Amino acid sequence: MRGASLIIFRLALLAAVLLLWEALPRLGFVNAMLLPPLSDVLAALVHILGRGDVHTSLGVTAAEVVVAFVIAVPLGAALGILAAENAYFGDIFKPMLFYVFSIPKSIFLPMFILVFGIGFPQKVAYAAFSTIFIVIMSASAAVESVKAEHLLVARSYGATQAQILRRVYIPSMLPILLEALRISMIFNFTGVMIAEMYASRVGIGRLIADWGENFEMTKLLAGVILLAAAAMLFNEAVRSLEARCSTWRT
Amino acid sequence: MQHVANVSGARTEAKAAVEVRGLSHVYAGRDGAVPALEAIDMKVPAGRFVVIVGPSGCGKTSLLMMLAGLRAQSSGAILIDGRPIDKPDPARVGVVFQEASLYPWLTAVENVEFPLVLKHAPRAERRARADAMLNLVGLDGFGARYPHELSGGMKQRVSIARGLVQDPPVLLMDEPFAALDEQTRMTMGHELLRIWEQTSKTVVFITHSLTEAVYLADEVLVMSARPGRILDRIQVDLPRPRTYQMMATEEFGALRERIWQQIRTAP
Repeated sequence: MRGASLIIFRLALLAAVLLLWEALPRLGFVNAMLLPPLSDVLAALVHILGRGDVHTSLGVTAAEVVVAFVIAVPLGAALGILAAENAYFGDIFKPMLFYVFSIPKSIFLPMFILVFGIGFPQKVAYAAFSTIFIVIMSASAAVESVKAEHLLVARSYGATQAQILRRVYIPSMLPILLEALRISMIFNFTGVMIAEMYASRVGIGRLIADWGENFEMTKLLAGVILLAAAAMLFNEAVRSLEARCSTWRT
Repeated sequence: MQHVANVSGARTEAKAAVEVRGLSHVYAGRDGAVPALEAIDMKVPAGRFVVIVGPSGCGKTSLLMMLAGLRAQSSGAILIDGRPIDKPDPARVGVVFQEASLYPWLTAVENVEFPLVLKHAPRAERRARADAMLNLVGLDGFGARYPHELSGGMKQRVSIARGLVQDPPVLLMDEPFAALDEQTRMTMGHELLRIWEQTSKTVVFITHSLTEAVYLADEVLVMSARPGRILDRIQVDLPRPRTYQMMATEEFGALRERIWQQIRTAP
């Protein structure tokens, strides 16, 4: 069973990494100040999860991530679909979108601070800004992936516009849209984190930056584990949806 | 299959299943108007198998799209089952497209059901109907497979089943076997004739293959290069059911040769 052995080796690899994380600092092979043992980090994780300021920060960060996502994804999808469906609109805007997409968004961060301050609106605006380009381009690619033959078949059987949308466009676009959702969450989350670490009063990114500056490595790594878990959870949730579509994705 | 057109007496007997009168089509190209089809007249009596052949770009696919109500002609009239067609009407016309027209996210039986879903047919009814069609095309037991799990020939069988599911009197086929290998193509032609004889549909079939044309047709219409005109109408009087052995006969060869001469020397 190749599949079974694959899973065993993957788990073995994970166990080895965690074991080394625990053993190397304990045995003095690496500086425990820079890389505290895993057990200390997990203890710190339990400790910070009990703290009120951490709860507040988690709440603020989660709200920023969700609001930015809810703005960027539908807006980007609408613009992307418009760019793909309306050739004229697409020809005008696509080159510019393409070039702006290639610019690292973080260089605009100081401008966002000047315009929005360092509160909630700035985090949301910056994260939405960093996310929207990938959403526009993916949505546009999703529309273009709809096959002309498939539309023709539906029309030949008398489908209405609404039926064509529901029965041809959406199922054709679904795999690409789910993939886009996953990738845009990565951009979105990164946007919120960068904005928080750069300048803010609350938020988990702010706490992580503080812990780093104060050389509190166990707390810093505990924060990293926490965020990594949240990101992976979302990623896997969307991936399991994608897997359900993969029966026909060839 | 309970299509009962043209049994109401002698008066309707003259009524063609497909009739095209003086059809022309001009489209706007980069350098002005391009004539695509010119003075097309055709009359296909109910239950007849007509094949259209012609060089690439002669407008035969455009003509078929017009017969399906999917595209408008510049001038002339098209009557399907005695009435003009200006938009798709699946009750009168089923279309079987070239390869890859099945929806990959639907199973074979769901693909066949698709036209009935659009009409909001009750679930049990449409499933029964789709199963019967899969049975007719020789795909009993393959309903739960996705298109990528079927061979090229099987996919086109599913397409045929989908074209027939609403029991339209007319079936239009746009090079349905073009992407298949030669052997599968021959088998599919034979299967199509069996299905056609069982259902007594009127078929308009487009192909590049002269052998396929002669093998299938009651009548072959030969079209010219653009602008497409009908150069010749060839009656194929080979007995039915057709057999592979007929392809070796002199009569078959002569018919094939006659079409080839027309296409080769077409202006």
